[in-house]
Amino acid sequence: MKKALLLFSFVWTVLAGAVETVEIRTLLEDLALERIDDQEATLQELADSGDEYVTAFVDAWRVGEIREYQQAGTELFLVQEVSGKYIRVSTGETIDISSEVYESLDKNRAPRKLRRLLTRVTDTIGLASKNVNTRVEAALKLGASQRAEYLPELQRRFENEKNAKAKRAFEEAIMISLLANAETSEELIGAVIRLGELHSIRAKDKILAIVASAGESGDEALQVAAQKASDMISDHEELLKHAGSFFRGLSTGSVLLMVSFGLAITFGLMGIINMAHGEFIAIGGYTCYVVQGYFSNWFGESSPAFQWFFWVSLPVSFAVAGGIGFVLEKGFFRFLYKRPLESLLATWGLSMVMRQAFRLKFGAANVQVANPDLLLGNFEYAGISMSYARLFAIAFAGFVCVLTWLLLTKTNLGLYIRAVMQNRNMASSLGIPVKRVNSMTFAFGCGLAAMAGAVLTQIGNVGPTMGQAYIVDSFMVVVVGGVGNLLGAGISAMGIGVFDQFLQPLFGPVMGKIIVLGMIILFLQWKPGGIFPTKSRSMDD
Amino acid sequence: MKLFDNKIEFGGYLSACVVLLLILPAMNAFFPEGSSMHFSSFQLSLWGKYITYAVMAMSLNLLWGYTGLLCLCQSLFFALGAYAFGMYLMLHVGVDSVYNTALPDFMDFQGYTALPWYWAPFENGAFAIAATLLVPGVLAFVFGFLAFRSRIKGVYFSILTQALTYAASLFFFKNNLDLFGNNFILFGGNNGLTDFKEIFGYDVNAASTQRWIFVMSAILMLVVYLVISWLLRTKFGKVQQAIRDSENRVRFSGYSTTTYKMLIFVGTSMVAGIAGAFYVPQVGGINANEMSPAKSLDVVVWVALGGRGTKFGPIIGAIVVNIIKSFTTRMYPDYWLIILGAIFMLVVLFMPNGLVGLPKQLAPVWARIRGNSSTSAIAAS
Amino acid sequence: MNDLKKLTLGLGSAAALFTSSLVAQDTVKVGVLHSLSGTMAISETSLRDILLFTFDEINEAGGVLGKKIEPVVVDGASDWPTFAEKAEQLLAQDKVSATFGCWTSVSRKFVLPVYEKYNGLLFYPVQYEGEELSPNIFYTAEAVGQQAIPAVDFLLEEGYTKFYLIGTDYVYPQTTNLVLFEYLKSKGIPEENIGGGLRKENGEVISAGKYTPFSHTDYQQIVADIKSFAAGGDACVLNTVNGDSNVSFFKEIAASGLTAEDCPIVSYSLSEDEFRSLPTADLVGHLGCWTYFMSLDTPANKEFVANFQKWLETKAPSSVQKEGRVTCSPMVLSYNGVYLWKAAVERAGTFETSAVIKELEKGISFDGPGGTVTTQENHHLTKNVYIGEILEDGQFEILESFDNVYGEPFLKGTF
Repeated sequence: MKKALLLFSFVWTVLAGAVETVEIRTLLEDLALERIDDQEATLQELADSGDEYVTAFVDAWRVGEIREYQQAGTELFLVQEVSGKYIRVSTGETIDISSEVYESLDKNRAPRKLRRLLTRVTDTIGLASKNVNTRVEAALKLGASQRAEYLPELQRRFENEKNAKAKRAFEEAIMISLLANAETSEELIGAVIRLGELHSIRAKDKILAIVASAGESGDEALQVAAQKASDMISDHEELLKHAGSFFRGLSTGSVLLMVSFGLAITFGLMGIINMAHGEFIAIGGYTCYVVQGYFSNWFGESSPAFQWFFWVSLPVSFAVAGGIGFVLEKGFFRFLYKRPLESLLATWGLSMVMRQAFRLKFGAANVQVANPDLLLGNFEYAGISMSYARLFAIAFAGFVCVLTWLLLTKTNLGLYIRAVMQNRNMASSLGIPVKRVNSMTFAFGCGLAAMAGAVLTQIGNVGPTMGQAYIVDSFMVVVVGGVGNLLGAGISAMGIGVFDQFLQPLFGPVMGKIIVLGMIILFLQWKPGGIFPTKSRSMDD
Repeated sequence: MKLFDNKIEFGGYLSACVVLLLILPAMNAFFPEGSSMHFSSFQLSLWGKYITYAVMAMSLNLLWGYTGLLCLCQSLFFALGAYAFGMYLMLHVGVDSVYNTALPDFMDFQGYTALPWYWAPFENGAFAIAATLLVPGVLAFVFGFLAFRSRIKGVYFSILTQALTYAASLFFFKNNLDLFGNNFILFGGNNGLTDFKEIFGYDVNAASTQRWIFVMSAILMLVVYLVISWLLRTKFGKVQQAIRDSENRVRFSGYSTTTYKMLIFVGTSMVAGIAGAFYVPQVGGINANEMSPAKSLDVVVWVALGGRGTKFGPIIGAIVVNIIKSFTTRMYPDYWLIILGAIFMLVVLFMPNGLVGLPKQLAPVWARIRGNSSTSAIAAS
Repeated sequence: MNDLKKLTLGLGSAAALFTSSLVAQDTVKVGVLHSLSGTMAISETSLRDILLFTFDEINEAGGVLGKKIEPVVVDGASDWPTFAEKAEQLLAQDKVSATFGCWTSVSRKFVLPVYEKYNGLLFYPVQYEGEELSPNIFYTAEAVGQQAIPAVDFLLEEGYTKFYLIGTDYVYPQTTNLVLFEYLKSKGIPEENIGGGLRKENGEVISAGKYTPFSHTDYQQIVADIKSFAAGGDACVLNTVNGDSNVSFFKEIAASGLTAEDCPIVSYSLSEDEFRSLPTADLVGHLGCWTYFMSLDTPANKEFVANFQKWLETKAPSSVQKEGRVTCSPMVLSYNGVYLWKAAVERAGTFETSAVIKELEKGISFDGPGGTVTTQENHHLTKNVYIGEILEDGQFEILESFDNVYGEPFLKGTF
């Protein structure tokens, strides 16, 4: 809706002077204030106008951003906030009121039925939109409604459309509409065949219904054509499903990778069985929430600067968790290097304390972290869609991998870390500051976990127990990859993610997961040291 | 053969026998409610629950403390035993008041009219008891065979057992299983098995029945203690401890460590299973939550806190942690996690040998204090 | 070692004796049995808070039968054996007169035998699947007929013809969806228009809808499925997903571009309290159905909300979260439960459980924040049902109300 606002301000500056817009604006205000007699005609007029302000208005209206304003002695009218200014809806004039006054105004709300009717209007308007995706969405929606009155308009747009993607969408919409509105049986069969060729998943249910009804009425030609079309669509659907599963698998895998990378360091490299790892993830989530709160206080939620909270919170959460990790290592974990199994008990206790501390500080309920505009919505390509938040997670996982790899292989600290992890005493006697390296490594692992938590706010929820959901998976990823091997952790995370998503459509989410766990158990029979076992000459390793 | 290390241990064992088998049940049975000598049925079943936990902890200790295998599926074996016996109890709740059939309520509500074949034998008490031993045993055998044969050890073994537990809990949380078009009803899903009525013809909720179950749980614990004491003194037990200390040396000495580990793994799984069977009637239900990975970690924590690799440690650990938990969830419902978590952390830092090791750890300090006071006493005179 | 063991033995029983000997004369103990830690704390902590508020309110007005209410708060820790243990502790040691508690069905199933054994009294405040009737439990909760069915009626009236069922895999969603499936079929909706999948046994449908485990976070596949289901138009989703999974579900829905105008989602487990952790701007126009909404424009409700807010500022203990609090249906049903219990005790003239239950069964009315509620002989409540649309500020706009709907727990197979 913020996008819509921006769009609106653009449209507004272009069309502010246009007479038509003022008429439409007045019409909208009258519609909202119930000052019209014939709703049907008004809607038709709005649809015919093709004015994109209607869409902007409807988007603002449905989320309560249209307010009613009445000065003493004047008529009630509507006010809308557009980039910090208050605009009278019917004229587009700026109204001089303070934000406090604006906030105190009553919200004008669209009745539910009217809103549904208005989506038809905005869809019709969307057909002429400059944005290709809006055109596509609008065309398909109108087609799916199968109303005959939209056919001529769709036809006209189809003929004039230049963009291949939109043209295809218009054609699909026309054909879907024809399934219900064809005048001759040839036309119907033609539409069915064409839909099959277009691989229209939207039309599948309707074509299947035609198969059934044609079977009953004995229309063999139609039945054969419809059957063939539905088979074609099914084949395509199958293909999409696999491709979709693959991408979803990458996304699940990248989440696994993010959450387990920190553990790959604290557990894999340092040997601390860190049961509090999940709580470090939660620290990231909560840091993001706190930063969001500060930004909202400083800039207000509608300002563009607020959008930055998420990007700022990524390094902040790294620093916060890293700092906590550093202190804990200094004060606590350094006593446990000779007793790795007891680190399990200690970190389990730590995890309990942290969980309850979150609960007491932030409340037992989950907290809400907003999506910055950049991560809203989804990306669609060839029928596979994925949200920007998940795409970002994939990219971020890649970034974390590269960052860690660079740190470990290209810096002095990395060299020290590897040396200390291989042989603490030897490293110490060679003059490496073992204690400092230990603290830094642990802090780095905790920081990575928290950054993962910050990214997870965009996909899942933030609450006291959010870390618990990932802890078992994280350990699994690290062990399958080979303890102490970061590359292995990366490969195993992606592998587990992709397998999981491929099994899900076949067996359902739970059985899919059980089978993945079973496969992990069997995999470790075959490779007991994980994908990349640690090579060691020591016998008792 | 001598079973006890010293007289103190023997005395402790005897007094535990007396307290658990005679005094507590008698205080429950013969003193009226309200009397200061009365030990309430609630307390009795609560202690009964602790005792079954203690048995589970002892079985884990045998694996972890004496064989060096940190197993994170002890709660799974425990829950499997509990489910096996719970299924027997579930099939003896009588006619359901809502559906008027003898089927467990969750089967009715999902439209089943007959007992599936894998449920039917559990109507028989003897079969159910055998199953409490065999189901965990067979699972441990299969899993152990796979794991030990490929020489999975250390933390890999722990994580694998955790994966097994996790998979099993997901499975038991399901209501139904759809397999190749066949539909199987499972074990009550998230609601689990509850609201039992009868156990071998007796009212499961009656005070006298609960008392008997308590006494039998106590006997189970005392017998398991004796068996472990005996085992540790046999050659088998020595090899087992040698495996913990250096498995490769044992293998090079010509012992098949795989066989030893298999035997001990299967044996402890059965002990955990039977403990689970005693747990169910005292708690009044079982659901898949009992086999979640967190529960397995709890057991590990009990053992570590009490004292790993000691005979008394797991018992002390299980009972102390659960008493603290019972007490704090009532008195400090908002802070108990912090209290318990802090205790765990402090124990690790300051009591490396657990609670049981505390007297030994304090002995030098104690000696110094006593020494000081005696010297000062001499000086004063 | 022996000493240590004896010591712990003694410690446990001493603690038990200590707590049970603290019964003062002018107070009456009631139990509060909710999860304050673990996964269910997200929802249940709010109920603990409202109960403490209610007790304070009653105590200020003079208490019950001249006695002040002394709450005994225990933590069920989202762990069902712990629930059973705590229930028994409340009944056997603290000897509470009534308990207010439980959220999940499984926790209720675990404590049910305990309440029947000790002849206790439990008030259960959260919408549930029905198919249960214990003589020792009062279900102030919404039964399926007081929530799921009115919502479907409303959607049918609005002209929706395709229904997608989705839920968390446990008894409440399974039963509700099965009842809804039967109901939809009785209203002439063909099977192929009911999405999410059906499972059949011997030709009979035994389960309808798509199910995910508790705390599931990956809704990519399911949302893709819903999108293609809704592509034909006139489709809606009936959502019985429980708890925090909804965050992931709605984030995925919002990202997919499905709006309430394309395909409204009726959520049966999402109330104002859950909206505190959801991006509500993405939820605008989706629906909810409860027997109370915070936005109800009645004097009783306004006073209730104001009093609760005031209590949070002035009297609430430190462990109660104070910022951004709202009221919701399960909270109000807890509140109603306490007042119904008070009324029954006053009519019976005693705290004795059997007498109180008898009075409750005779029918007691209370004018609560959500309108008048009346106890029924079958331990459920007659109450008003409201259908609301979610607004961007996390409140509901009430679209329709059904007055005095009878609470019927046994609906399966009746359509």
